[in-house]
Amino acid sequence: MSTLTAMPRTRRWAALATVALLASVPAAALGQKLAPITVVINQSPWFGGFAKVVEAYEKETGNKVNLDVNPFAGSAEKQRNSVRAKEGQFDLLVMNSTWLAEFYHGGFLVPLNEIDPGFKLDPQVINYDDTAYWDPKTKTNNSKTGVVYGVPINGNIGVLYYRADLYEQAGLKVPTTWDELLANARKLHNPPNVYGMVLRGARSASDISYDWMPYLHSYNGAIFKDEKNGDFTVTLNSPEARKALDMYLALAKTAGPPNPGSYGQAQVIQALVTGKAAHGTPVIAAWSQMDDPTKSAVVGKMNIAVLPRGPGGQHAPTLGHFIGAIPKNIPKDRQVAALAFMKWFQTYDAQLKYAQAGQPPIRKDVYGADFGKKPEFRWMKAMVDSAPYPRMMYRVPEGAQIVGVLELRLNQAMIGERTSTDALNTAAAEIHEIMRKAGYKTGRLPDLK
Amino acid sequence: MTSPARGGLAGDTARWRHYTLAPTLAVYLALTALPIANLLVMSVHDIKWEQGVAQWAFAGAKHFAGLPQDQLFRDGLVNTALFSVCAVSAELVLGFFLALFASRVVRGRLFYRTAFLLPILIPGIVIGAIWKLAYNPDFGVINQLLGLVGLPGKDWLGEKSLALASVVVVDIWHWTPFVFLLLLAGLESLPQDVYEAAKIDGASAWQELRYVTLPMMLPTIAVTAVFRLIVSFKVFDEVYLLTGGGPGTATEVVSFTIYRRFFTEDRIGYGSAISVVVLFLLTLVIVLALAGLRRQRDEA
Repeated sequence: MSTLTAMPRTRRWAALATVALLASVPAAALGQKLAPITVVINQSPWFGGFAKVVEAYEKETGNKVNLDVNPFAGSAEKQRNSVRAKEGQFDLLVMNSTWLAEFYHGGFLVPLNEIDPGFKLDPQVINYDDTAYWDPKTKTNNSKTGVVYGVPINGNIGVLYYRADLYEQAGLKVPTTWDELLANARKLHNPPNVYGMVLRGARSASDISYDWMPYLHSYNGAIFKDEKNGDFTVTLNSPEARKALDMYLALAKTAGPPNPGSYGQAQVIQALVTGKAAHGTPVIAAWSQMDDPTKSAVVGKMNIAVLPRGPGGQHAPTLGHFIGAIPKNIPKDRQVAALAFMKWFQTYDAQLKYAQAGQPPIRKDVYGADFGKKPEFRWMKAMVDSAPYPRMMYRVPEGAQIVGVLELRLNQAMIGERTSTDALNTAAAEIHEIMRKAGYKTGRLPDLK
Repeated sequence: MTSPARGGLAGDTARWRHYTLAPTLAVYLALTALPIANLLVMSVHDIKWEQGVAQWAFAGAKHFAGLPQDQLFRDGLVNTALFSVCAVSAELVLGFFLALFASRVVRGRLFYRTAFLLPILIPGIVIGAIWKLAYNPDFGVINQLLGLVGLPGKDWLGEKSLALASVVVVDIWHWTPFVFLLLLAGLESLPQDVYEAAKIDGASAWQELRYVTLPMMLPTIAVTAVFRLIVSFKVFDEVYLLTGGGPGTATEVVSFTIYRRFFTEDRIGYGSAISVVVLFLLTLVIVLALAGLRRQRDEA
């Protein structure tokens, strides 16, 4: 005789009712924990905000999230090694837009509907140029033909940081074009106390190429003729690109520090928070440091705006965002746990916490929240203004090689080793060679004279 | 004539020697020969990933043929050679005189030895942070000190003409203690009777150094130089932390090029080809150095 049948009738019903009730309650509410997960992530300016949200998740659900924090380039390498192993070490890959293509093309990621057929991105989640979707047949990011592979983790883009107090003193207007920015930067240039403009002119894993890309795109230039439709003719050495590079160099040389070719993002942020720079264009994630009295000498003095544009062109901030995705080569229970975190992460409440920690939320509705009107959240307006314009830098797995070429040749132009014409012609020839060897439909414009 | 019994014993001994060597040989094969063989195989292949699976395509000598056109590789080799020669020469001179001082000093011997060794105990990442701050053109201590004596500051890591020299200075600061340690051990093991004989003959301090110490220290100096040359040829962390190879290619070194091609750009075959060439060059240095040492010993 079983224990249940041995019970008196009323107690038997009570026991069955309790079991039914327990089965209907979500596991998390009962404190039943999912498998611990390890998130591989990089130490970016926005990491502090992400870590706070992770803490809130752990507190709320009882699930454990380990953060494996690395330098930017180191994170990509760790992710690469993990997805290529027989069993992956990491359960959630926080991938920057610069290495997304490699992971999509390499077939390392699992479509999220394979883990949970009912999963979909919340309609309020910002699209970020379809980069959370992948169509393995056409090998493109396409939300219509592809399926969802990831959840945006951070909507990082470049914005214009400017010293509002200096603007007020000098009676300047917030620039909407690069020419206006150049004029303002020259006006405020007072070296060595304040540099008019600090740029990310250094050669690294991704500094000068990322920094210059909004100039290129907003002058109606591009690396390739029509990348989205498979035409990889290199157009980097176009007259528009040269104008964009000449403007960039003019800002650096006539309103920048003595050696702009050695300034990476960390140096740019340092110059801004120490009050040594009147303008800079680091990513939005750096904002949290501007009003932090333990890090900044310009608390309340800085403001931000959408990046300027070229003559006749559109504003074109470059996407430097991050997508969280789950690798194929981990056990199912860890995939389920990683997806549970991402489902929670895209909720309104989680994103509210993220925004309150000073980081750009990935949901549109959070930008409309009341707290955004407070002065300390004045960065949110620039994000809303920038929303229609962000562009991907590239979408091919050869991107790391292309960035390597751009970082060297643009930096050589910055330090005066090459003219803008020579730098663009050389870079175009090298990128063309990369694409030709990789078997793309490619070509290139005749050299600039 | 060898008796069968003795021959058998000798044969057993020889076999036994081989058997006892086998574990060491196996470890050597697993840890050294196999990775090198793997590197050689990778250097003649293109390796791509599709559907999570590595696709190997034979590339022949294509990667090696492309090396002369690679500006980063060319500049990296030149900079590495410059870096190694300058840094190791300075480290040998400084290390030798510091060792001489530490071996002669009577009071505070332990203090000096500890103080001279300190930089080598500091992790590379901390050294990068210390020197990056010291070299900072706006806040760095070096420019502040220059300012105190009325000299203009410099962008030590940002100016093309200064960047490599600045990295060399960090390497000298970091590695001179190692040279000091080896040379001090060499100095302290020199036979004292030769010095006593020199004193009896009335040799001055300079003559003692020139005709006694230096000739006797030459083998130790040579081994130290070879060792440091090999290690300095592989310099990576100082460049990675201080300059990232820039500005332009002013501080690009060959290890950094390998890192960039192999890891950042994920060009496994091409990165392996550069590694093979560097391995060959380092082997050449070792062979030439060993031949030089042997000739020197034979002449002695």
